[in-house]
Amino acid sequence: MRRIRDRGSALPTTENSVIVRGISKSFGDVAALRDISFDVGRGEVIGLLGPNGAGKTTMVDILSTLTRPDRGHAWVAGHDVVSHPAKVRRSIMLTGQQVAVDNMLTGQQNLVMFGRLQGLRKSAARARATELIREFDLDDAANRRVDTYSGGMRRRIDIACGLIVRPEVAFLDEPTTGLDPQGRQSIWDLVGRFKSAGIATLLTTQYLEEADTLSDRIIVIDRGTIIAHGTADELKERTGGGYCEIVPQDPRDLPAMVDALGSLLPEENRAELTVASDRIAMPAPGGANTLVEVLRRLDSAHIALADVALRRPSLDDVFFALTKESAPHAADRAAADVVS
Amino acid sequence: MTALTAVRPSPSTIRQWWVLTVRVIAPTLRNGELLIAISLSGVFTASYYVPLKQVMGAFVHGSYAQYLMPVIALQTVYFAAMSAALRSATDKVDGINRRFRSMPIPVMTPLAARMSGNVCRCAIALATAILWGYVIGFRFYRGAEYTIGFCLLVLLIGITMSFVGDLIGMVSKDPEATTYILLLPLLILGVLSVGIQPAEQFPGWIQPFVRSQFNSQFVDALRALAGDATGSAAWPNWSVIGPALAWLVGVGVIAVPLYGFVLRRRR
Repeated sequence: MRRIRDRGSALPTTENSVIVRGISKSFGDVAALRDISFDVGRGEVIGLLGPNGAGKTTMVDILSTLTRPDRGHAWVAGHDVVSHPAKVRRSIMLTGQQVAVDNMLTGQQNLVMFGRLQGLRKSAARARATELIREFDLDDAANRRVDTYSGGMRRRIDIACGLIVRPEVAFLDEPTTGLDPQGRQSIWDLVGRFKSAGIATLLTTQYLEEADTLSDRIIVIDRGTIIAHGTADELKERTGGGYCEIVPQDPRDLPAMVDALGSLLPEENRAELTVASDRIAMPAPGGANTLVEVLRRLDSAHIALADVALRRPSLDDVFFALTKESAPHAADRAAADVVS
Repeated sequence: MTALTAVRPSPSTIRQWWVLTVRVIAPTLRNGELLIAISLSGVFTASYYVPLKQVMGAFVHGSYAQYLMPVIALQTVYFAAMSAALRSATDKVDGINRRFRSMPIPVMTPLAARMSGNVCRCAIALATAILWGYVIGFRFYRGAEYTIGFCLLVLLIGITMSFVGDLIGMVSKDPEATTYILLLPLLILGVLSVGIQPAEQFPGWIQPFVRSQFNSQFVDALRALAGDATGSAAWPNWSVIGPALAWLVGVGVIAVPLYGFVLRRRR
């Protein structure tokens, strides 16, 4: 990566659509972002993952020129967000956490309006609206007012309005918050199409599953700081090996299993067991080797098993481990947010 | 630069203004808001004129319709200002403003479009008020230029209050609440003015307030511009029109910089 000299002209020569270098932003005494740097390549989907209040929306606001950073530089589609905001605005689409379309207009009217605001002639805007309505599966609703739409449909028309002129970079700020599983799936399908269209996408989410499914790379952000960065696989590696799960045929065998496993079962996993438990979950630092050793010991204790599984850590495990590293109370907050 | 950005059309500010203005005006015509505005103004006129004609009319020189007309015109454009507030608050709360700011649209264009819509609303409000005024017997007595003066002053008041309404909408978190914020000063103070009865009919302690508050200044100016059959209306010289204009300038001097501050605040 080339060193960045000063704002405006000194754009690093890369294929990247978004370049962020040392961005910091405070609101009063609250540091919303601290020294954030990352890139998004063309056609790449980056998941910005973090709990509420982590700074995700502030990051999106800075990149879409709604807020100025206090320090650092960022380029979107080759333009500096501070010195050339107008050029940035011509290259991006932004959908915020709430659907921002005109509720008094129909879906079709909204599309035509956004097309004309982007400089399309009326006929071109109409043609593009028709295309998007078909593509976004909104044919039946096109002539209904948007305030009659379901949550998933509102999201779709919201995103469609951003695509009326094809953006080079898309910012999707928590696009599935508040949607039912079906609505969420339809948005996920759309994001897949962004990728094939070569649109660089920055997606913020507090859903680990979403970041895992959609993103090429994930940036985990907590309290304004990047605490991890990599592919989902790389992040999973960071918490070490997998877990194994052992389910006996008879739950009453659990105490005997604990005895048989002996030192293999760490104290904290032992402590997690209750009378209601029907299985043992424990880390498998040696992967399959650990599992084989577990089976050998249980076999010699003559315990009949219903199921055994070796599983890699989920992104949830990673996320909780990472936020715990970053600050104990942040992990609690994240847990509360994910639950709520 | 990639081909994608190269093919992007170049949006014209004028067209954006027009598209956004149509957006504001079209629903007004389509969803019956216009019809509601006209009937509301009628109800309003009747509810002042019919019961008060006998009671207040006794204290007023000349026709009570003539006396009442300014306050009817004012309250009708105040309703337009409340719609302005509601519209701007809805755009803000719905996130439309935020979205527009992330698009290649100059920062003043959405405001200019909303204000254009407000000018239309105020013009409709004025026409409606004059229509109902004529129904109860109001007439212009001073000829074309003062009639135009009357209309321009009502429009100017409406536009100023719509601007204030738009500003209140921009900072509000709840569109419904904005209406109440304007309802109190505009409607209540409308009643507490010389619009419905002469100041002498109010208790002595409140008379100085009734005489000098902005609604009374507006009413005095409008009454002078309309004239009356008996010649009891004041002549519309600068000492009558001046205070009304001064109020508008005063509101503008406060509201315009405040608006600038609100627009820049998020930066």
